[in-house]
Amino acid sequence: MKKILALFLAVLMIATCAATLSSCKKDSGTIKIGLSGPLTGAAASYGIAVANSAKLAIEEINAAGGLNGIKFELLSTDDAHDASKVATNYAAMEAEGMQVALGCVTSGPCLEFAKLSKDANLFFLTPSASANDVVKENNAYQMCFADGNQGTYAGNYVKSLYEANTLGKLGVLYKSDDNYSTGLYEQFMATIPTALKDAAVVATFTGDEATVDFTSQVTQLQECTFIFMPIYYTPAAAFMTKAVGKVANNATYYGCDGFDGIDTSVEGFDITTIPQKVSMLSHFNSSATTGKAADYIKAYKAKYPNAPLNQFGASAYDCVYALYYAMKTAIDAGKEITADISASELCEILKEQFNGSFTYTNSVTGTGTVKWASTGFVEKDAVAYVIKEAN
Amino acid sequence: MNFITALINGLSAGGTYAIIALGYTMVYGIAKMLNFAHGDIIMVGGYAMYLTLLAAGHPILALIAAIVCCVVLGVLVERFAYKPLRGASPLAVLITAIGVSFLLQSVAQIAFGTSPKMLSALKIGGFFSIGTLKIDYSTLVTLAVTVLVMTGLTVFVKYSKTGRAMVAVSEDRDAALLMGINTNAIIAVTFAIGSALAAVACYLMLTKGSSVTATFGAMPGIKAFTAAVIGGIGSIPGAMLGGILLGVVESISLSIPALAPYTDAVEFAILIVILLVKPAGLLGKMRREKV
Repeated sequence: MKKILALFLAVLMIATCAATLSSCKKDSGTIKIGLSGPLTGAAASYGIAVANSAKLAIEEINAAGGLNGIKFELLSTDDAHDASKVATNYAAMEAEGMQVALGCVTSGPCLEFAKLSKDANLFFLTPSASANDVVKENNAYQMCFADGNQGTYAGNYVKSLYEANTLGKLGVLYKSDDNYSTGLYEQFMATIPTALKDAAVVATFTGDEATVDFTSQVTQLQECTFIFMPIYYTPAAAFMTKAVGKVANNATYYGCDGFDGIDTSVEGFDITTIPQKVSMLSHFNSSATTGKAADYIKAYKAKYPNAPLNQFGASAYDCVYALYYAMKTAIDAGKEITADISASELCEILKEQFNGSFTYTNSVTGTGTVKWASTGFVEKDAVAYVIKEAN
Repeated sequence: MNFITALINGLSAGGTYAIIALGYTMVYGIAKMLNFAHGDIIMVGGYAMYLTLLAAGHPILALIAAIVCCVVLGVLVERFAYKPLRGASPLAVLITAIGVSFLLQSVAQIAFGTSPKMLSALKIGGFFSIGTLKIDYSTLVTLAVTVLVMTGLTVFVKYSKTGRAMVAVSEDRDAALLMGINTNAIIAVTFAIGSALAAVACYLMLTKGSSVTATFGAMPGIKAFTAAVIGGIGSIPGAMLGGILLGVVESISLSIPALAPYTDAVEFAILIVILLVKPAGLLGKMRREKV
C-alpha cells in the first residue's frame, strides 16, 4: 500500500514539474534578464539597490509598450556576494529561460559569471562589478568604471575643469611605495594636458600610512586649490586634519574609490571639522537635484522609500535602459528580435551593437552619454560625488 | 623660503627620532643588546593614551599614563625576556627582541583591531606666520621638548649617581660590578628611562595628528635605530646628532619633488656613506676586538 502511495506521489510530482516547465516554455512573451547579486549578507545594500532599480526600469519600459510589444522580465537570484553560489544561480536562471543578463553585482562572483556566460554565449552588462577581468571576454560589458582605469577617468574630469577654467592650482598627493596609488597617479598624469602637468605641485609619502606626519606635504601643497589624492582614506584623513588653516578653505580634495568610507571609517576623525570640500570620483551623484539623475532618484524613492539608494542602483537602471535601446537600435537596423530569441542569437546582436557605434544617451550615471570600448570598458564622463561640501 | 620651512620641520621630526634613538643607544651602551621591541613600546604608549583619553579625556593625564605604562612594560620585558639571556649569544638576544616586537604587535592587533585610531584630543593645531613662513605650534612643542629631554638626560648622566653608574656599566660591566654597582638594577633603570622617552616620542608624534595602529612604532623605530647607528650606537650625544641629521635629511628630501619618492632610500644611503667613512658612526668610539 505504502509503495503504491509513494509511486502515486512521485508520478504526481513529475507531472506537476512537467506542467510547470511546459507552461514556462509556452509563456514566452517576455525577454528574460538574469541577475545574481547579494540580496542578503554584508553587501546586501548593493544587491537590493540593483534589483530594485532594474525592476523600476523594466516596469517603466513595459508600461511604455516594451520593445515593440515585447515585455521584459527580471530573474533575480541571491548570491550573498559568494562566488560559489553563482553556478547554481546561473543554472536556475538558465532553466527559467534567461536570454541576457546584468551579470553579478560584485566583482568576485561576476568573474565566475563571466566564465559561465562565455561558455553559453550569453551577453551581460554588469552595473557594478568593477574588476578589469570581468569584461575580459567579448560577451561582457561594464556600466561602472573599471578599477584599473580610475586614474584616466579622474584625469579626464580634472581636464574638463581645467578647460572650463574652474580648476585653480592643481596639487597631487600620492603614496610612492603603493601600487594602487602610483598606478592611479601615473594614469592621471598621462591624461591631463602637459601645461597643467608642468604646473602641478606633486607631493609624496611612503611607509606606514597611518603614522605619516604630513607636515612637509602640507607645506608643499598649501597654495593649491584642487588637490587630487589617489590614496586610501586613513592617510587622507590625516592630511586633511593637518592642512586645516593652511590649505585654503575653499579648496577641493578629490579622491578615487580609496576615499570611500572616509566620513565613517576613521575612528576619531570628524569630517565636519574639515573646512574644505571633499569629493571623489564617481559616475553618479546621489544628491543630484536636476537632470536625469534627479528623475531617477525621485522615481526610486517613490517606489522604494526605505530601500538603499546608491550608485549601484543607478547603474543598474542605466544597464536595463542601455540593453533596451541597444535592442531597439538593432531592430531599427533590420535585425529580428522576438520574445523567444535564444541567448546566443541575442548575444551576437548585442555584441555587434556594443562593439560598434551604439551610444546610450540620457543616462542617469555619467553626464548623459555612454559608449563602450571594444574592450568592454565603459566610456563616459566622471562626476564628482561630494562627500562633504565646503563649510 | 621652502627650504627654511623644510629645515624647521626637519629639526622637529629629527627631535622625535633623537628621543627614540636615545632609547636604542642607551640600552645598547649599557646592556650591549639591540632592543628591537623599542619601536613597539611607542605603539603601546599610543594605545595607553587612547584608553586614557576614552576614560578621562585629558591630554596631560594621557601622557602620564603612557609614560607609566611604557616604563612598566619596558622593565617587565627586560626582566622576563632579556635578563634570562644575559650571557647568551648576542644572536639569541637579538632574535628574542624581534620576537617580543611581534608579540606586542599581535597582541595590540587582537586587542584593538586593525582600524587606525586618530587621537584628535592630543593634536596641537594652529600655526603662526612670519611672512610667508608658516610654523606649526606642534613643531615648536616638539623642538622645546627635545631640547628639554636632551639637556635633562645629559645632566642626569653626567652628574647624578645613577647616571655615573650607567656610564661605568657601559664602560666595563665586570669592573662596575666589582666597584659595588648593582648592574642588574642599572640595566633595569636604563630600560625604564628608554621606555619613558618612547612614550614622550609617541606623544610628540600624536600632537602632529598621526593615528595609532598596531605597527605604529615600527617605521619610526627603524628610522631612530638608523639615527643611533649614524651617530655611533652607544653614544648619547651621537644619538641626538644622528636623529636631528636624519630628520633634516628626510624633510629636505621630501621637499624636493624629484627626490621625494625616494626619501627612505636617501636616508638609508646617508647611513651607508657615513658608515663607509666612519665605521663606528659620527661620535662612536672604535673598540678593538680581539679575535
